Amino acid sequence: MIEALLVSHVSKSFPGVRALDDVSLTLSAGSIHALLGENGAGKSTLIKIITGIHKPDTGEVIVNGKVVHLANPRQAGAAGIGVVHQERNLIPRFSIAENIMLERLGRHDLSAINYDQIHAEATKWLKLLDLDIDCRMPVSRLSVAQMQLVEIGKALSLQSRVLLLDEPTASLTQNESKVLFRVLRKLADDGVALCFVSHKLEEVFEICDTVTVLRDGRNACESRSLKGLVRADVVKMMIGRAERISQRAPRPKPDAAAYLELKGYASAAGHKNISLAVRPGEILGLYGLVGAGRSELAKGILGMTRRTSGEVLVAGRPTDIGSAADALHQHGVGYVSEDRKQEGLILLHSVLGNVGITVWRKIAASFGFLRDYTVIDHTSPVLRKLEVKTPSIHQVIGNLSGGNQQKVSVAKWIAAGVKLLIIDEPSVGIDIKTKAYLHDLIHELAENGTAVLLITSDMPEMVDVADRIVVMAGFEVRGEVENDRNYERVSRAIMGYIHERKAA
Amino acid sequence: MTPSDVTNTSDAMPIAAGRQSLVQRLAYSSEFGLVLLIALAVALFASTLPGFTSPFSLFTIGRQIGIDTMIGLAMMAVIVTGGLDLSVGAIGVCSAMAFGWLMERAGVPLYMGIPLAVMFGAGLGFVNGAVVVRSGVHSFIITLASMSIFFGIMIFLSQAQAFRTLPPEVLGFGKMRFGGLVSALLVFSLIVCAVLSALYRFTSLGRQMLAAGANPRAAEISGVRTGRIFIACHMLTGALAATAGLMITARTGAAVPSMAGHLGQDWLLPAFLAPVLGGTLLSGGRVAVFGTFLGAALVNIITSGLLLMRVGEFWIQAFLGLMLLAAVLTDRARHKLLQRRGMI
Amino acid sequence: MANNVLTRAFDNDWIGPALVSVLAIAVISFFQPSFLTPFNIFVLLSAVAVNMLVALGQLVIIGVGQMNLALGSIGGLVAISFGAMMELWGFPPAAAIVCGLMIGAAAGMASGFVIARTGISAFIITLAGLQIFKGINLGITEAQPFYGIPQGVKDFGNLSLIGPIPWLVVPTLIASIAVWYLFARLRIGRYILAIGGNRNAAELSGINVNATVIWAHAISGLLAAAAGIMLVARLQLGHPTIGDDWLISSFAAPVIGGAILAGGHVSVPGTFFGVVIIAIITQALVVFAIDPFVVQIVLGGLILWAVGINRLREVRVSKLLGQKA
Repeated sequence: MIEALLVSHVSKSFPGVRALDDVSLTLSAGSIHALLGENGAGKSTLIKIITGIHKPDTGEVIVNGKVVHLANPRQAGAAGIGVVHQERNLIPRFSIAENIMLERLGRHDLSAINYDQIHAEATKWLKLLDLDIDCRMPVSRLSVAQMQLVEIGKALSLQSRVLLLDEPTASLTQNESKVLFRVLRKLADDGVALCFVSHKLEEVFEICDTVTVLRDGRNACESRSLKGLVRADVVKMMIGRAERISQRAPRPKPDAAAYLELKGYASAAGHKNISLAVRPGEILGLYGLVGAGRSELAKGILGMTRRTSGEVLVAGRPTDIGSAADALHQHGVGYVSEDRKQEGLILLHSVLGNVGITVWRKIAASFGFLRDYTVIDHTSPVLRKLEVKTPSIHQVIGNLSGGNQQKVSVAKWIAAGVKLLIIDEPSVGIDIKTKAYLHDLIHELAENGTAVLLITSDMPEMVDVADRIVVMAGFEVRGEVENDRNYERVSRAIMGYIHERKAA
Repeated sequence: MTPSDVTNTSDAMPIAAGRQSLVQRLAYSSEFGLVLLIALAVALFASTLPGFTSPFSLFTIGRQIGIDTMIGLAMMAVIVTGGLDLSVGAIGVCSAMAFGWLMERAGVPLYMGIPLAVMFGAGLGFVNGAVVVRSGVHSFIITLASMSIFFGIMIFLSQAQAFRTLPPEVLGFGKMRFGGLVSALLVFSLIVCAVLSALYRFTSLGRQMLAAGANPRAAEISGVRTGRIFIACHMLTGALAATAGLMITARTGAAVPSMAGHLGQDWLLPAFLAPVLGGTLLSGGRVAVFGTFLGAALVNIITSGLLLMRVGEFWIQAFLGLMLLAAVLTDRARHKLLQRRGMI
Repeated sequence: MANNVLTRAFDNDWIGPALVSVLAIAVISFFQPSFLTPFNIFVLLSAVAVNMLVALGQLVIIGVGQMNLALGSIGGLVAISFGAMMELWGFPPAAAIVCGLMIGAAAGMASGFVIARTGISAFIITLAGLQIFKGINLGITEAQPFYGIPQGVKDFGNLSLIGPIPWLVVPTLIASIAVWYLFARLRIGRYILAIGGNRNAAELSGINVNATVIWAHAISGLLAAAAGIMLVARLQLGHPTIGDDWLISSFAAPVIGGAILAGGHVSVPGTFFGVVIIAIITQALVVFAIDPFVVQIVLGGLILWAVGINRLREVRVSKLLGQKA
């Protein structure tokens, strides 16, 4: 039998990074394949190679037994490879039908569009997907799940025999996911080869037949059957070791009064009735899946989204933080964003320009006068302590490695001497050594009396670092778990909270 | 990497002297290329065109460089934010006319009139900035509208009449030259360049402007009040545009409503040409203050040379357009280089 | 359901401007009955005819999510070329018109090509284009107009078809229907809007973005050329300053008509009423003997007002949709 898609010994390097190293993958018609790996393991690079966005340095992509050289997404489509990207790729004001048929609206630029034909064709695909909506409706009026299905329809309508889905369930509810899975199963039964990328292992075990795991740009396993594997095996392949049982002893509960407390907090972003408290010296974990509203909560605390009801207390006093500037300069609250490139750092500027940004206002002399050495005096001890490796403090930060960038984005808050530090997904895109270092650092910060709010989707990290874990889902707090570093117990308790109300 | 390596590198992290080597910095800077081009152009024109190096010619070229530098700096101050201000010309003319009114009609003394006119320009910039920040609409369309409004109000109030009876010191400053050839307007622009450089390098405000321009979201989260900073950038633009308007008033000895063309559109080209040639990134976050001066210098030297070569004045306009095209293509190449080196 | 109707009414681009137009005409003619004399209507429609073409020229570029500062200078260049061809070379008007339109399309195509190939913002490229085309214009004319316009051309620009309706309305009507058809039914028009709506998605769907951008600029140049030629007919001379004052109104009319500046959404009927509103206000200032420079203030104010309304509408619509979801 000829495999629908074969990726054979592909390698790909970017300046300074070897993203893929001799990676292989096999997709067969009629089966659903899971592509797994931690952030930065090379999944997205592999998808980009299969869809013609990147060209591999070495290795081949083979479709139906023939070697193909895909120079752009169009050629990938012509080769029968369809893809549903993580970000929405629809034209919001166009109708469903037009979106599905976008590349086939007419033969040439000046041909008139035959809308009857387009609608008939699109309706056919909507039927196949069990989607009962008028295909003349603009996609901007659809729910996220419906848009997701429209994108799948669009990919399928191109006669795709291979369909890649990059985290299709990230923003779906459990019921919507169920509908999606039914469709995917149906497609597989019709002979389509599907590749499913997801962070949610439960889903993978629910619908996938085979699995490929990437770790650090290499195959940790290649296209093996999921039968006989259990969750722990897959996790072990993903992180290269068993899920670590934490070595840190549980820390005594600090008895100080809470530094930050939310009481019945609700926000314009959609948070409802959120209550939590962080004490100085305590590390409060905030666990939840993507889309649970954790980063949004952090931004709400910083005053970047409006509070609609409830109370925010800083050091026991009800406060109304109006902006991130107020949060930092008046209340000593800092936020390490999960999106280092967009929200964490100014990549165009130097290490010094990035680490000093939080203290400029504080250390400037009269008339805002500020010399480099003043900033250096205030920040270099922190940079040294964090062992930021840079040829010079004037080096443009975009040139540093991910780990060093992350250290700088934490360092700027330490330099500012914040009393509460919110850390969002600290270990995205950094190496294991820096990750361990950051965990130690977070502990040290807490020991020195900083209140820490740690947001992470990385369960081992959460169990290893946090003292107490608040579980969020659907912009609400679902429960709280005291962390005794017993991975089995804690993770089961957390998952219990997440699924309990969804199932109902 | 061994632990000692780690400590070594961090200990060796150079604090003061550790910038890129001088040669490297020179080679990468757009200023270096401009200085070369200027030297080349001057050498060429000086050797082939006899009138080029006459004191009067040098004086007039310098004077125009001074004015164009100021116009370029005005636009640069808002390009920092990644936005732009189509109304620089309108603000410049309005401020110059306000100055003329203050002098001629209100009888305000000169030493009061100048700062008032500059503050007036800053005020118009504030209006732009506040609307842009509040509405969240791109500065292009807002300043397109304000350009029409400012200019319309000015013409309506002035009835398109110039103010010609200004204190003699005004024209005197425009005619002043040092050593017989260096225009006072040029020297003044250089001083403003120095002040702006200091602003961007040595003050908290300037640094916040650059940070907010390079990445507004990151800056906001890091405690920079990006809204206020952007408004400050627009105010700076307004003040510099007003200064440029006053400089033209000094050159001609009168505040004329048509000094920047219909709606002040005539300033748009020099306003973008100088900073872009100088190496200011159009996407924001990086300025080139002296580069803007060098850009204005290059443009005016070539323009003067071409005029002396009897290339028609009108064709020079087309040439300036081509020059802008060349400048942005170079900017693009530089941007790509920066990207490849991971700086963006 | 009520929500849906509300949303639709709110989402409709031309009803608002149309109501404003009718209201403005009613109010002005109440205070100044001479406003609706056949002569005034003729003048009003002539202005609408030319400005509609200018606005359509910008509309196409707004649709693709860009802007065209060179619109006026292309119009001006075509206007003087049109005059020069007839006066200096004795071209028959028909041939001169065809050549003029081709010059406009070629000039637009050139900007489009540079924008598409380099990826530099349309703003800066068309600013350079503005300067280059204007420079060529002045280089050719040395700022002197061409007077030798054939009588037939002059008549076309100044005679009426029937009653107070000028001949000038005919080409504008054809162009408006063509542009409407382009955006509603032609593949290239839908692609222009697709790129304006979500460039990344359009690219991933295999739309040739570069070719489409070049197309858009060529169409824009063509419309600017048509407007330039019509102005020559109306003014009865090929004046080098033609096009100098198009910039503001070319943006004002589409924006009043509900076009979204980020691209992806334009309305031809909305733009038409935008042009009408501007023409009425300009004309009203003349009728009431108000300083004509006030037009500038009003135009600027209209842009801000329209941008504000569009913004509100976006928020409102997304809120209604949010409630539904």
